[in-house]
Amino acid sequence: MSLLRSRFARHIMLCLIGAVMMYPLLWMVSSSLKPSKTIFTDLALWPAAWDLSNYPDGWTALEHPFSLYFVNSFVIVVLSIIGNLVSCSLAAYGFARLNFTGRKLFFALMLGTMMLPGHVLLVPQYIVFAKLDWINTYYPLLVPNFLATNAFYIFLMVQFMRSLPHELDDAARIDGCGPFRTFWSVIMPLCLPAFATTAIFTFISVWNEFFAPLIYLTDSELYTVPLALRQFMDSEGQSQWGQMFAMSFLSLAPVVGFFIAGQKYLVKGIATTGLK
Amino acid sequence: MTGEPVRNTPNRRDVLRMTGLAGLGLGLAACGRGFGGGDDEPAGGAVQLNMVWWGDAKRAEKTQAALDIFQRKHEGITVKIEYQDSGPYKDKLATRFAAGDPPDVMAMRMDSLREYADRGTLLDLGQHSGAVDLSGLSESARTLAAVGDKTYGVPAGLNAIGFVVNRTLTEKYGVSIPDGDTWSWADLASFARQVTQASGRKVYGTNFEAFTLANFIVFTRQHGEDFYTADGALGVSESTVVEWFEMVEAMRAEGGFPPAGFIEKVGASAEQSYLAKGSIASQIIPTNNFLAYNAAAGGNLALLRIPGETQAVRRGQSVDCPHLWSVAAATKHRDEALALLDFLANDVEASKATGTTRGVPANTSVAQEIKPSLEKDDQVATEYLAGLQKEKLPRSYTYPPGSSKIASSLESIAAEVEFKRQTPQQAAKTFLDTGRKALGK
Amino acid sequence: MTTTTRVTLPAGASAPPAPPPRRVKPRKDRAGYLFLLPWFIGMLFTVIPFFASLYLAFTDYNLLNAPQWIGLGNFREMLDDPLLRQSLKVTFIYTFVSVPLSLVVALGVAMLLNRGVRGLPIYRAVFYLPSLLGGSVAVVLLWRYIFGLDGVVNAFLGWFGIDGPAWTSDPDYALTTLIVLHIWTFGSPMVIFLAGLRQIPAMYYEAAAVDGASKWHQFRSITLPLLSPIIFFNLIQSLISSFQTFTQGFVLSSGTGGPADSTMFYNLYLYQQGFSQFNMGYASAMAWMLLVIIAAFTALNFLAAKYWVFYDN
Repeated sequence: MSLLRSRFARHIMLCLIGAVMMYPLLWMVSSSLKPSKTIFTDLALWPAAWDLSNYPDGWTALEHPFSLYFVNSFVIVVLSIIGNLVSCSLAAYGFARLNFTGRKLFFALMLGTMMLPGHVLLVPQYIVFAKLDWINTYYPLLVPNFLATNAFYIFLMVQFMRSLPHELDDAARIDGCGPFRTFWSVIMPLCLPAFATTAIFTFISVWNEFFAPLIYLTDSELYTVPLALRQFMDSEGQSQWGQMFAMSFLSLAPVVGFFIAGQKYLVKGIATTGLK
Repeated sequence: MTGEPVRNTPNRRDVLRMTGLAGLGLGLAACGRGFGGGDDEPAGGAVQLNMVWWGDAKRAEKTQAALDIFQRKHEGITVKIEYQDSGPYKDKLATRFAAGDPPDVMAMRMDSLREYADRGTLLDLGQHSGAVDLSGLSESARTLAAVGDKTYGVPAGLNAIGFVVNRTLTEKYGVSIPDGDTWSWADLASFARQVTQASGRKVYGTNFEAFTLANFIVFTRQHGEDFYTADGALGVSESTVVEWFEMVEAMRAEGGFPPAGFIEKVGASAEQSYLAKGSIASQIIPTNNFLAYNAAAGGNLALLRIPGETQAVRRGQSVDCPHLWSVAAATKHRDEALALLDFLANDVEASKATGTTRGVPANTSVAQEIKPSLEKDDQVATEYLAGLQKEKLPRSYTYPPGSSKIASSLESIAAEVEFKRQTPQQAAKTFLDTGRKALGK
Repeated sequence: MTTTTRVTLPAGASAPPAPPPRRVKPRKDRAGYLFLLPWFIGMLFTVIPFFASLYLAFTDYNLLNAPQWIGLGNFREMLDDPLLRQSLKVTFIYTFVSVPLSLVVALGVAMLLNRGVRGLPIYRAVFYLPSLLGGSVAVVLLWRYIFGLDGVVNAFLGWFGIDGPAWTSDPDYALTTLIVLHIWTFGSPMVIFLAGLRQIPAMYYEAAAVDGASKWHQFRSITLPLLSPIIFFNLIQSLISSFQTFTQGFVLSSGTGGPADSTMFYNLYLYQQGFSQFNMGYASAMAWMLLVIIAAFTALNFLAAKYWVFYDN
C-alpha cells in the first residue's frame, strides 16, 4: 500500500516537473496555429482564432522551400556526428588508456582550447578558412569535426573510458590484442552510452548552430534551418510570426525524434551488456 | 573479474547502420551543394557584385525585384544578395572586413559608419563624383553620409521619428489629442495623464524609450546643443540629461507613463509593442514603420511630430536614414558598385519595386513620383518626411567612433533611474563620464 | 604572463593518472600518437587561432587596421574598467549559484529516473526539452509573458498575496531569473548522469542489498564513488561553460547586458568590446584573463579530485 502510494507520489512529482518543462513547447505549438496578428495579444494556450495556413505558407515563404534547408542541415548533422564519434573516440582512447610522451601537456592544451571564448577565435579561424578557399562551403562546418577539435566530447569520452576497469586492457593484451583491437572490440562497445551522448549532443548543437553557418555560408541555397528561421524576423518589418513559430516547431521535430530514438543507447551500459 | 573481454561486439549492426547513414550523407553531398571550391566568379568577363544588408524575407523580395531591373539595364553585371537580421549582420560584416574579404556593396549603420570610414575601408564617393548623382537629394539627405569633406554612401531611404497616438483609445476615453505640429512636452504630459486617469489605469497615456538615442537627440537639439559635435565630441550638457530624466520620471510619478518594470524589452517589432497590445495610447516610432504599427494597432493611429518643436530654442527633429548604401574601398568592381548605388538612389523603377521598406526615397522627385503607388500609411509617412525636408533644420553630425558605448551607457543609466537606483543627477554624471572616456575627448 | 605555465596548470596539477608503468615505452608512444593523429591535424583550426588571440591580447586591434603592439596596455586598462568588474561579479554570482544547483537537480532527477519508472523514455525526453529549446529565439519571446509584471509567475505568486516584481526588467531580479532559467535546462547534465549510472554494474547493488545496506548507504558507498568521474566531468564542464555564458544573457537583454548591466556577463562584455566597439585587442586580453580564471578553477578541481574522484585502477 505505502509502496503504491510512494510510486504514485513519484509520478505526480515527475508530471508536475514535466508540465513546467513542456509549457514553452505547447506555447510554441499554439502560437504556430494562431494568425500572426493575435500571437502577442491572445496569450491563451488554446487559440481563440485558428490559422493553419502558417505551415504551408511558412514552408514556402523564403527564397527556397524549407525542404532544402532541412536537407542541408541533415547533411551537416550526419557528417558531423560521424566525424565527432570517430575522431573524438580515437583521441579519447589515446588520452585515457595509453601512455606517451607529452600526454599531460597535450591534454592540458586540449582543455585550454575549451576555456577561451569563441569570439576572439573567430577572426583568426575565418582567415584560416579563407586561405583554404573554404568560404561558402560546408568544409569549415565539417572538417574540424573530423579532426577532433571538439574538446568537450573528447573529455566526456575520456571520463567514461577511465571509469572502465583496467583489467579489461590487461585481459585483452593477454589475448594478444594490440591497442587498436582493444579499442575496437573491448572499449568501444562498453562506451556506447558515451557515444550515444556524443551523437545526441552533436545532433542538437549542430542542428541549432547559428553563428558558424551564418559566418561561413553566403549562398542562400546552402543555408541551414536556423539561418532560414532568422530570415522570418526583422524588427523593422512586418514579421511573419505565425510562420516563424510553425517552422520553429517543425525544426524541433528531428531533434526530439533523434533524442527519443537514440536514448535507448544511453542506457546500454555495462549494466545491460552483461559484463560478468 | 573479467575472465574474458567482450569479444562479440554487440554494436556491429549499429556500426553498419551508421555506415549506411554515412553513405547516404555522402551521397547527398555528392550532389555537390556546399562542397565546391568556395566562391567562384562567373566566367566570361561577367561581373558579380556581392551586396549585403539586414532585413527579412519580405524586404528581400522587394530588393530582388529592384535588382532584377538593374541587371536588365546593365548586361554583364549580376548582384548576389545576402541578408540577415540586424544583430548578426554587423558581426559578420566586421568579421569579413577583418579577414580582408569585404562585400562590394553593403548596408551601413549610421552608428558604425565612422568606425569603418575613419579606418579607410569605405570608398569616398566624392573621389568619383559623377558616378553617383546626388543632385536630387535634399541638403539634409546629402549630408547624412558626409564625414568632413568626404561622402561615404547614399541614404537607402529617409526616415525620422514621429509620435503616434491611438485614436481609438483617445476617443473611447474622451481625451482630445493636442495639435501635432505645435504641442509642447507639457501638453504631452497632461494628455498622457488624462488618458491614464480616464481609463482607470487600464491604459497608460504614453511611453517612449528614454534610453533610445534618437529620442534623446531630438530633445538635446531642442536645447540648442549638438549631441555629437562636428569634431566628434559629446556636446550634450549635464543639465539637459538631468532635465530629460526628470521629465520622464515626473510623467511616471503622475501616471501618464507606465510604472517601472512595466515595459519588458524583449522584441522590438510593431506586433510585440505595447501600443499594439492596447496598454499604452501613444509612443515614438521611426516613421518608416508607421504602416507596420498602424496595422498592428488596429489602423487608427495619428502621426504627430515630436513635442516641443515650436517652443524650443531651435528645431530638434532631423531627417535620418535607416542605413546607408556604402561601397568597400577594397572592391574589385568599383564602377559597377557605384552604378548600383546610383541606380538605387535615383531610379524611379527601383524605388517603385522596393517601396518604402527602407524609408522614403532619398531623391525628392523620386519620392514624389512613387507616392501615388504607395499604400495610404506609407503616403502619410512620405508627406511627414517631405514636410520636414522643406523646413530649415539644424544639421546633425555623424556618430563618432566609440559611439556604441554611449548608446549602451544611456540604456544602462535609464534603467538605473527608472528603478530609482540613481537620481537623474548621478545618472547624468555617470553618463557623461563614460561617454567622454569612450570618445577620448 | 608566460602562457605555458598557465596552459599546463591543470595537467601539472593532476590530469589523467599515469597508467601502469609496466608498458613498453617506444611502442606505446607510437600508438598514442597514432590515436591522436586527427587531433594533431585539427590543431590547425584550434591551436593556431588560440595563439593568434594571445598575440592580439598585447595589441591595439580595431579589426579594420593591422594590430599595433602595445605590450601590457590592454591589461592595464582592464584594471580600471568598472564595467569589467561588474561583468566579473555577474559571472561569478551566476556560476557559483547555478552550477551546484543545476548539478544537484540533474543528479536527483537522474536517480529518480534510473529506478525503472514506468514511462521513463517519455519523462526523459520531456525533461530534456528545455535544453533543446533554451537558446531558441522563438521561445525567448515567451519569457516576457511568463516573467512580466503581469505574467504567469506573478499571477501564481498573487494567489499567495505576494506582489511579484518585474522579473526580467528590474535590475535587482534579472540575474535571478537567468539563474532559474539555467537550472531549468538541467537536461544535458542529466543525460550524462543517466549514462554514467548505467555504467555501474548492477551486481554491486545486488551484493549490497544482500548485505542489507540501506538505499542511502548504497548511494553513498556505491553510486557516488563509481559515478565520481562523471560527476567530475559535469562539474568541470558546467564550470567552464558557465564562466563563458553568453547566449542566455545575450538573448534576454537583446545583447545589452541590461537592465542596468545586471546581466552583463563577462563574455557578453567581451563580445561588445570586440564587435560593437571594435576593440578586438582588448577583447582578446579579456579572453585570456578569463582563460586564466577558468584554468585556475579547473586546476583546483583537478587537485581536489585526488580526494574524491575514484578511477578503477
